[in-house]
Amino acid sequence: MTMEPEGTHGTTGPHVEVVETEDAVERRAREAYFTASQRQLIWARFKRNRSAMVAATVLVVLILMGVFAPFLSPYNPTVAGRDKDYTNGAPQIPMFCDQNGCSARPFIHGVTRERSIETNFRWVTKVDPDKRAYVEFFVEGWEYNLGPFTFDTHLFGVDEGYVHLFGTDDAGKDIFSRTLHAIYTSLAVGTLGVLISFVLALVIGGVSGYFGGVTDGVIQMVTDAIRTIPIIPLFMAVAAFIPDTWSSETRFFFISIIIGFINWPTLARRVRTHLLVERNQEYVLAAQLQGAGAGHIIRKHLLPSFTSYIIVDLVISFPYIVLSETALSFIGLGLKDPVNSLGVMLQNTTSADVLLNYQWYFIPVLFFIALVMAFVYVGDGLRDAADPYGGSRK
Amino acid sequence: MFQFLQFALVRASMAIFTLLTVSLIVFTLMELVPGTCAERYLAFKNTQGSGISIEDIEAEERRLGLDRPFLVRWTSWVGNVFLRGEFGDSCILRVNINQLLGDKFAISAAICFASLILAYLIAIPVGIIAASSKSEWLNGSLRFVSYLGLAMPNFLLALMIMLIFTVLYGDSMTGLFSNAYRDAPWSWDKVVDFLSRAWLPVFILGWSATAFALQTVRALMLDENGKLYVTAARARGLYGRRLLWRYPARHALGPIINSLGFDLNRIFNELPIVALILTLTEAGSLLLEALARSNDQQLAGAIIFLLTATIVALNFVTDIALALIDPRVRKSVVGG
Repeated sequence: MTMEPEGTHGTTGPHVEVVETEDAVERRAREAYFTASQRQLIWARFKRNRSAMVAATVLVVLILMGVFAPFLSPYNPTVAGRDKDYTNGAPQIPMFCDQNGCSARPFIHGVTRERSIETNFRWVTKVDPDKRAYVEFFVEGWEYNLGPFTFDTHLFGVDEGYVHLFGTDDAGKDIFSRTLHAIYTSLAVGTLGVLISFVLALVIGGVSGYFGGVTDGVIQMVTDAIRTIPIIPLFMAVAAFIPDTWSSETRFFFISIIIGFINWPTLARRVRTHLLVERNQEYVLAAQLQGAGAGHIIRKHLLPSFTSYIIVDLVISFPYIVLSETALSFIGLGLKDPVNSLGVMLQNTTSADVLLNYQWYFIPVLFFIALVMAFVYVGDGLRDAADPYGGSRK
Repeated sequence: MFQFLQFALVRASMAIFTLLTVSLIVFTLMELVPGTCAERYLAFKNTQGSGISIEDIEAEERRLGLDRPFLVRWTSWVGNVFLRGEFGDSCILRVNINQLLGDKFAISAAICFASLILAYLIAIPVGIIAASSKSEWLNGSLRFVSYLGLAMPNFLLALMIMLIFTVLYGDSMTGLFSNAYRDAPWSWDKVVDFLSRAWLPVFILGWSATAFALQTVRALMLDENGKLYVTAARARGLYGRRLLWRYPARHALGPIINSLGFDLNRIFNELPIVALILTLTEAGSLLLEALARSNDQQLAGAIIFLLTATIVALNFVTDIALALIDPRVRKSVVGG
């Protein structure tokens, strides 16, 4: 940085009114750039990346949908909330007009279930265009807990009967409600898994990077050995031994822990590399010369120097965690009803019957794809933004 | 030459060390699983109607050598595996594991390698084109497609293809052999039959592998393209394909070869899922069966060890190959 030539203080001569020239504005911007923290810089670069911003928006929406799943979903996602008169039912889209005229309030058609000689004595659900169920907002429904409070208000519902935006499954459970809750579960498993692998990575990578030398060599060899084991078959082996008697909550934690153990080696390696590089930086030496203790250096200098990068790494590893949860649940070794994750939802789509007759089972798959894609794009954008040389290349 | 031998030796011993570590991890995990082989087998017998007592379990444990200390058992297991290639007997099925896995493992390994090759056959040219093209649109859509390959579950792809085949040909394409050849001895016709069906798992496994490979190739090429030696070569008047293949592509090749092992790892990870959908009878689905149905520790350990050994072997081979192409690698004996 250059010294400021027209300093206003301590100069002799006539007093000059300081005018904000364009030059000064630009300089101030540059000043802000040079003094900006790591996080501000990354955010500034990230904002310029259009696809990453779009993905971030999608991601935030999906996360909010997951977090507020009980409020947004009209029915209980478990068997308790099933609509037994509308099993394997097609999605019902609210509309404003039908052949009986229009209404300002959106409505859906009611359904009747009947069994007669025409239907070969099977139960058949028929849409009754003369019956209307009007959509209402902030209706009272099943109870749910948000923290210590219990609520029973839901964003929408219908005045009589049920509304199923995404249809229902073979037990009559509302797929819309299930999808929202599945997003929440998958995110929760992912977050827990990320946290576990993060702690492991920080400890193992930290020891490896801070001590270096022989310790580093041994830890790296073991880490490399672990990285060569194909993880999914290995955890299939472990998961197969989960007793059937475990409650769904225990299962949930177990799977999260397993997933945490899948991911740590990659992260640990990053932490180690960061530490190995940063440890020899001049500012560390400067701090040491001023008599700072090791703990102070690690807390005040080393950790802040790479926390933002670690966060980026975490975001990048998130989709893979969601994918491994899905894979485990998909094989039937992970989560099971009544806890439903995206993996459980995907598993429901695997029969040819669904593919031919009940295509709405695939709606959760779209959400799954959107979630993974959003994470990958955000992760990519963050990685580009966190790379200090990213802007100068290209 | 001496340098090369030294390099190969160091790498080989590292590979063996890795395998030993892996075997210890796998063995420990199988140990941690509740219940020993003897208990499980006798519990199984119990369900068949023959009553058993604690003494029976202890006698069975002694017969299987389960009363020996952990390390002794591990050493004997590892010794058998390394020196004689023997995995012992399956816990529940009471059959020799080598026999049980037999060519099933060979077939699944072949499928995985085929999809790995397919992935790079597509990824290398496409990745190079994407990296050297300035078109935002091309790059953006390629990125989108390859991320879609990651996000779109490959079982979905498998289902769609199976559906199409069922509708068009009335044959669901499940299994690796058609009914006529399933139990027949190997013959030319059987090989043809196998090949006419094996492309489906190869394609599905290759699909997401391609997505990853494409990313790797593109990123590496972009890195290399920005370097000064490429600019220098361009300044000397080289351009187009000649420039690409002779300079940046050669340098990008090293890391790509290096990453093959991890790609194989990823394919192995997806094998069980695809195998489940396609109901294949190779190691992937056998693994699931061994694990989910009967809690067979011995079999599970053997399969995981075999899979890992394949990856370690591939890593070793790629290391040697790299050392052959690149003298710099030879010099850094332990590096990497």
